[in-house]
Amino acid sequence: MSVPASAVASGAPATLAPATHAAPLHASASPAPPEPVAVLAGVHKAYQMDDVSVPVLQGIDLLVRPGHFTVVLGPSGSGKTTMLNLLGCIDRPDQGQVTVAGTDIGTLNDDQLADFRAANIGFIFQSFNLIPVLSTFENIEYPLVLAGMEPARRARRVTKLLELVGLSDRAKNLPGQLSGGQRQRVAIARALARKPRLVIADEPTANLDSRTGEAILTLMRMMQVRYRISFVFSSHDRSVLKAADDLILLRDGVIRAVRRKAAPPPPLDTVPGEDEA
Amino acid sequence: MTASLLSLALRNLLRNRRRSLATLLALAIGASAILIFGGYTTNLRYTLQTAYVRAGGHLQIQHRDFFHYGSGNPAAYGLARYEALIRALQADPELAAMTVAITPMLQFGGVAGNYDAGVSRTVIGTGYVPADVNRMRQWNEHGLRYERPPFPLDGAGPDAAVIGQGVARVLQLCEPLNVPPEACPRPTASRAGPATGPALGDDIAALAAAEAGARPGGGAAPAGTARIELLASQVRGAPNVAALTVVAAESQGFKELDEIALILPLAQAQKLVYGRSEPRVTSILVQLQRTAQMPAAQARIEAVLAQAAPGEPLAVLGFQALNPFYVQSQQMFDTIFGFIFALIGGIVLFTVGNTMNAAVIERTVEVGTLRAIGLRQQGIRRLFIAEGLVLGVVGALAGVAFAFAFATVFNAASLTWVPPGASEPLPLSIILQGRPGLVVGITVGLIAIAVASAWWPARRASGLKIVEALRHV
Repeated sequence: MSVPASAVASGAPATLAPATHAAPLHASASPAPPEPVAVLAGVHKAYQMDDVSVPVLQGIDLLVRPGHFTVVLGPSGSGKTTMLNLLGCIDRPDQGQVTVAGTDIGTLNDDQLADFRAANIGFIFQSFNLIPVLSTFENIEYPLVLAGMEPARRARRVTKLLELVGLSDRAKNLPGQLSGGQRQRVAIARALARKPRLVIADEPTANLDSRTGEAILTLMRMMQVRYRISFVFSSHDRSVLKAADDLILLRDGVIRAVRRKAAPPPPLDTVPGEDEA
Repeated sequence: MTASLLSLALRNLLRNRRRSLATLLALAIGASAILIFGGYTTNLRYTLQTAYVRAGGHLQIQHRDFFHYGSGNPAAYGLARYEALIRALQADPELAAMTVAITPMLQFGGVAGNYDAGVSRTVIGTGYVPADVNRMRQWNEHGLRYERPPFPLDGAGPDAAVIGQGVARVLQLCEPLNVPPEACPRPTASRAGPATGPALGDDIAALAAAEAGARPGGGAAPAGTARIELLASQVRGAPNVAALTVVAAESQGFKELDEIALILPLAQAQKLVYGRSEPRVTSILVQLQRTAQMPAAQARIEAVLAQAAPGEPLAVLGFQALNPFYVQSQQMFDTIFGFIFALIGGIVLFTVGNTMNAAVIERTVEVGTLRAIGLRQQGIRRLFIAEGLVLGVVGALAGVAFAFAFATVFNAASLTWVPPGASEPLPLSIILQGRPGLVVGITVGLIAIAVASAWWPARRASGLKIVEALRHV
């Protein structure tokens, strides 16, 4: 697999540098980077609107570092959602290659891809997208049911997740009985339930007030650090910049700049075990 | 997983209670309508079957050609040594366990006359063993509210006869026989009486007078009875006549029979038809305990006959073959039933399909979410099909419950009606008890239709592109 060096960086300075394809962004000598959790290589994607093909992504090369909090920043229509859809393996590129957790998703059929997503990717949506007929507990539990996990183990894991997102007392509530912030916390817990390698969060704070949004961002960051899960978070709000380890600036379907923090994420003192969420 | 799938399906259906309720109502009404009609046709089937089996048994042993050619000269197709055949049949332990009655019958054509009134009409005479007929009349396998009165010939004299109410009307015997006016409306126009009618043939009158004179107390009929003369052709073509005391005019159940039926004791009928020749019968009636025993009984009878009467041209015919009207009416009702089922099935198909289509549209984003978090296309299909299944099961079971409740109330009203071709009121019931095939068939059929109608929307939902589903507004 060939990944353009421009998008591959470790130990990058905390500056927003223009993305170039010609030379490494950071030339400092450092140990070999860990295997990326996701790679987009030469990805093109266009949508057909009637007879017109509208290009959305144009030659995207991107590497998502494992255990980092990556923010994709860009205005509306810049292609953030499309890029996240490709990283989340819910869409396929017209051209180029998408590799997630070492697997070229182009080689997977629809069922394999569904299983792959279930095992490796968590989703947090802007509109929460909880199943309205399931309780908080059941929403978080649902991916585990799909995985065929036995009920007692499921219950332990969901209980732990509910504790982590601070909703233990809302376990039996339906989504309609929760506030927006609470719903998003349920969505975060659901996304983490199967301990994915990658969590895709498409503008998860867009439907929340700024204070709640900040709290959700903090929670996601905390979970990401705690469980060393890679988060890719899209936003058009520059206030999220401070949370980012890596920042991808996207405009008109092209990566305009990539900023990667020099320091690796803090070492983890808690790694989720079999009995932990 | 299945339990959680069904639980999820149920909860999804409860999301839009009004729509689900409307769909369930359509299903329940459809199921109950089909069931009630099925129960009604069952009642017709059982009533007709009971009438035919009581009158002629389940099976009849006849001369092979009697059914097709016997009406021209019934006596010519008589079964000789019939008593030996009956004894052989009665002695068979396998048959004995199945039969209610094995009894001979003689059918013949004749002319019945009320010479006092100067009227006559052609009749089909039937000679029975009255005690056997009495027993056969009690047959009620299906527990119908359809009782036949004791056979009036049982215990009556050897010259006694029973006529159909139509025969009584034509022979102007309604008054002496106390036939109810609804079965025997009084004529409005003046009619020709004996004084104005043409003189009857001297020979016939003489024969009748001789018959009447031979009877003890012949001449005046006792109260509630009437005298008639019955002219019949003997087996060799010679005319014979019997003077009979009509002890009752009975409804025969069917108008056509009422107009021609004349029933008399077998011995009297044999005397009339065979005179001093060896008496014969045209049929041996076999009534079974249960209709379902017919194939086994028929096979056994054929085996016994093969031994008891080798080489005899005999045939064993079921009541369905002997009464084409029964089969035709069943076919007609089965066709109507099938037509109604198809109509209601179509309504269910489109109602459930419409509901599921609406559900797919409403839950497009949810479908996208479920797919994104790892549910396979098959899982989405299962989800919507499970909803169709739940709708089908609940709707069909509600329909079954309603149909049973309705049938209970309806049957308690003890309604009667006169079906086409019938001459007396018959019970109007909805028979669902003891019809597991009907109930289960309709229930399963409607559930299958509900599932089938959910299949297409489910397929559409599972085929949605995830990103488009998530973008759906």
